[in-house]
Amino acid sequence: MDILASFGQGLLVVLEPQNLMYCFIGVFLGTFIGVLPGIGSMAAIAMILPLTFYLDPTPALVMIAAVFYGAEYGGSTASILMNVPGTPAASITAIEGYQLAKKGRAGVALFSTATASFGGAMIGMVVIAVLSPSLAQLALSFGPADYFAVILLGLIAASAVSNGGALKGIAMVVTGLMLGTIGIDLTTGDLRFTMGIPELRDGVHIVVVAMGLFGVSELIASIRANTGGKATQTIDYNEFYPSKEEWKSLFGPILRGGTIGSFFGALPGTGQTIAAAIAYAVEKRVSPQRKKFGTGVVPGVAVPEAANNSATQTAFIPTLTLGVPGSPPMAIVIGALMIYGITPGPRLLVEEPDMFWGLVASFLVGNIMLLILNVPLIGMWVRLLKIPYKIMYPTIIVLICMGVYSLNNNVFDVWLTLVIGAVGYVMRLFRFEPAPLLLGFVLGPLMEEQLRRTMLLSRGDPMVFLERPISATLIAITVGILVVALYSTAQNRRRARATAKNPQQEGTQA
Amino acid sequence: MESESNKRENPGADETEEHRALGWGGEIGGGLLLVLSIIFMVGGLDLGLGVPTRLGTGAFPFLTGAVLAVLALVICIEERRGDGLAEMPDWIAFLAITAALASFAVTADRLGLVPAAFLTVVVASLPDRSLPLIGKAILGGIVAAASWALFIGVLNLPFKAFAGF
Repeated sequence: MDILASFGQGLLVVLEPQNLMYCFIGVFLGTFIGVLPGIGSMAAIAMILPLTFYLDPTPALVMIAAVFYGAEYGGSTASILMNVPGTPAASITAIEGYQLAKKGRAGVALFSTATASFGGAMIGMVVIAVLSPSLAQLALSFGPADYFAVILLGLIAASAVSNGGALKGIAMVVTGLMLGTIGIDLTTGDLRFTMGIPELRDGVHIVVVAMGLFGVSELIASIRANTGGKATQTIDYNEFYPSKEEWKSLFGPILRGGTIGSFFGALPGTGQTIAAAIAYAVEKRVSPQRKKFGTGVVPGVAVPEAANNSATQTAFIPTLTLGVPGSPPMAIVIGALMIYGITPGPRLLVEEPDMFWGLVASFLVGNIMLLILNVPLIGMWVRLLKIPYKIMYPTIIVLICMGVYSLNNNVFDVWLTLVIGAVGYVMRLFRFEPAPLLLGFVLGPLMEEQLRRTMLLSRGDPMVFLERPISATLIAITVGILVVALYSTAQNRRRARATAKNPQQEGTQA
Repeated sequence: MESESNKRENPGADETEEHRALGWGGEIGGGLLLVLSIIFMVGGLDLGLGVPTRLGTGAFPFLTGAVLAVLALVICIEERRGDGLAEMPDWIAFLAITAALASFAVTADRLGLVPAAFLTVVVASLPDRSLPLIGKAILGGIVAAASWALFIGVLNLPFKAFAGF
């Protein structure tokens, strides 16, 4: 009952006209950028972030979250119509979705996607509302050593599954931790690594890092990929709504996908893409239509969408209750909260209940808005895909410049974005993923603070990390993940070398 | 599973022989990280490590630098020859985008927001041969006008539309 009352309170917060408006702006911009292939939700959030600094924390958080889940809705549109996923998670949707589109049933695929996304998001929202208060309660008993261990676990879990392998992922996290030390040391007031540049006193701004690593480098990478393809599909509204049997076949996948997604979303390190992939794999085994999978079936579109949208929502659980982001977009949420002077963590629920429950309720409101944007108004997004990319990308570059410049009214930040973007692009080429770097960058200062506190309280004895039961357990889990990840990276490498020696085998193994 | 999703996300992942030959990511990346880690370790020592009870300003940079140094060495050895490049590099797009950012940085304060936006669009779209120069200029004009309306008109940000004229 308590949860319902709090949720009702949150609903009142989000229904205030101002919050409602920012929620709408968020889902609209999120869908917009999600529809554009090649540019993911990270770039979208980074672009919106400078604008939120002029708002109160609650509408700002509502808007950032709305951009994030709006991008997931939009991501599926491009993947169905063009077989070019707008966001990585949508690549799973493309498997069945593009087949449906080729059969002339793009409308049905888009409709099922929107419905499944909504269903999945609602499951995720319920999970947040039910789980967060008790998790926050538990986290209130955490000491600094436990916090340090939680952050460590979050960082390792998130980087160990990186595409380039565990080693590179962890190296990127550590690099991020180091970059986070640039600027004034808050404990001692000393300047660190500013190289005499006054603009670096306050450190590197999170927007600069995110815009460079994601906005700029994604843009460079997406230009060639997008100059050829164009949406050729048109939506026939007579063919838009699924048949009665297809309607019925939607519910099972939504429930299963939503449940699987909400589990993986809440775990650190496993984001929407993994949730969608696993949900699709499970559905392929249990669905009554499993034999038709791969040829374009409605449940095959519904299940990954339900999973990735519920994962998108439950990613907020560790972020808001522990202050430890499970995924890069959540790192930006943490960064934004800290800019407002709000410490993310278990006290957030107690100290800022309106903000927390307002955010949770905004998931309901925002997803209803998205349903409207993506069902009756889908034609608008389809037309957006017809705008040539050569017009889009110079415009996006200007938005990036404006966003960065607006931080301090200073071109130094634009130069820094250029450098980080260029380095980020080269990193991508060499399979060093930018996401773990951003996580490390955001969590570095928190981690350092907890380390200092722990050492002060334990009178300089580092064994305290293994003596406290909570931190000892967390560290044991971290070590476990580390061992498994490094082992499987090494195995993959060995297999890759074997196929490199015997190229003929490649086809049979893949 | 990992490699499968990898391929899906980078369709160009194993396109050509050429880019397997370019697979020096391990050495180059690891080497650069090693240099970075040494900078932070030396810098950390310089700032002072403090004592265990009261960690100094340099302790955290030194510790993370040390961890990174180990990782970088392992990457150099373990990942040499690497997996090839993740995608074929597009240096023309790279140059266009970085030059566009640079032209914004150079002109924003000197000429103001509107000329900077115009120039940024034109520079960014330079490599696109399908859009004639006049088209680039028109696009630049539209984007510049729109950003004037949005950032100064609607959002009221303290930007100068024109400066130095």
